[in-house]
Amino acid sequence: MAKKILIPGDLISETPLKMKETIVQDGKTYATVMGVYDDVKKSFLPLESLWFPGRSDIVIGIVESARLNSYGVDLNSLYKGIVISKYEETKFNIGDVIEATVRELDETNTVVLQYPKLLSGGKIIDVRASKIPRLIGKDNTMIKELVEGTHSMVKVGMNGRVWIKGGDINLATEAIIKIQQEAHTSGLTNRVKTMFQQANASKGKGKVEEEVEQ
Amino acid sequence: MTAPKDKPELMKNGKRHDGRSPEDLRNIKIEAFVLNNADGSAYIEWGNNKILAAIYGPKEALPKHTQDPERAVIKCRYSMAPFSGNEEHGSSRPSRRSIEISKITKEIFEHVILVEEFPGSEIDIFIEVLQSDGGTRAAGITAAAVALATAGIPMIDTPYAVSVGKVGKDLILDMDYIEDKYSDADVPMAICPRTGELSLLQMDGILSPDEFKKAFSMVKKAGDQITKLQRNALQSPYQKTMDKYSKEV
Repeated sequence: MAKKILIPGDLISETPLKMKETIVQDGKTYATVMGVYDDVKKSFLPLESLWFPGRSDIVIGIVESARLNSYGVDLNSLYKGIVISKYEETKFNIGDVIEATVRELDETNTVVLQYPKLLSGGKIIDVRASKIPRLIGKDNTMIKELVEGTHSMVKVGMNGRVWIKGGDINLATEAIIKIQQEAHTSGLTNRVKTMFQQANASKGKGKVEEEVEQ
Repeated sequence: MTAPKDKPELMKNGKRHDGRSPEDLRNIKIEAFVLNNADGSAYIEWGNNKILAAIYGPKEALPKHTQDPERAVIKCRYSMAPFSGNEEHGSSRPSRRSIEISKITKEIFEHVILVEEFPGSEIDIFIEVLQSDGGTRAAGITAAAVALATAGIPMIDTPYAVSVGKVGKDLILDMDYIEDKYSDADVPMAICPRTGELSLLQMDGILSPDEFKKAFSMVKKAGDQITKLQRNALQSPYQKTMDKYSKEV
């Protein structure tokens, strides 16, 4: 089988490889989290893993405190976010949802954020951080599909938060849950596309029936 | 270990009081991803033992003086529900025994989890024994390892634990409550299957060096079976969807 599911401690390769969520011991590479190893592509896709802040990662946070010179931002992770207010013109209130970019992670586990943008209204969905790359897709294919199929505004944070506004929010939520559950399978983009086509077709049919009734 | 007058016959014609051979494990069932609100979770049924394990974190370690600036702090709480056993478990407040088991569990996982990756944080492990029938510490550790994997916490191995006992001259694997109560020795061990490292060894009673060697090999042999069950519990939810869609593609 080309793809196999590994658990922590499973051997990936007899040679040292540089991959995320792996460890090299005695010249061999082992998995440290659950993941799918593709023998053909020589890639390891973590199924359950945690977000580690990377420079210029886009995140979605909720403002939880406002101090004299900074805003504290909840990032749904071990790391606390901070926006330094002297660099920003926009004022935020506690409870505001913002989209921002990671500038740096300091030694106190605080993520310094920059370019914050207010996201007003909408809905937030928490997703496992390990599923975010699949939700975005290769060359943004999945996220494009999601936007086209639901006509919603979608912002994806690498910290495992998705913000949706407008369009068919219920359908978008359903699709995000589906992507999260089936992230490790192949042909998912096509299945999501089919899902939207079927949902939109039944909606169209419903509209026609309503018109006939009237 | 005391041998009271009403000690039941634990071994008869090479079979144990419940019909198992000395090297047999009880029936084990492990289920992963059982709690929605925990970061990781697992449920284990090991014979009559029923145990839930839940993981929270890594999160900011509080109170702050418990933080270690170089590594994550593991906190573990092993607790027996007031209704879990027949004896001495009328209350679920921490007892000497539960504090001891929490400590040894914490130390096993400190060795396995990549704690250096999360400085200043804490990882909470909760082991709740809902029904007990001997060997709950081993079952709890086995379930907690599965729960940690479901939480996505990086580990160098997925450990398992099982106990060996001594009845007369016989060594028996995986003792239940009756055997535990009347045995001459009880040796719980936890092992990292990949490296073969022993991360827990306790001994209540006396074993000779030869008996210990035999006990260790019995645990390692049983480990293949337990690791397979842990693996199945973790893989099967994903394998099902993978198989379903691999046929379509």
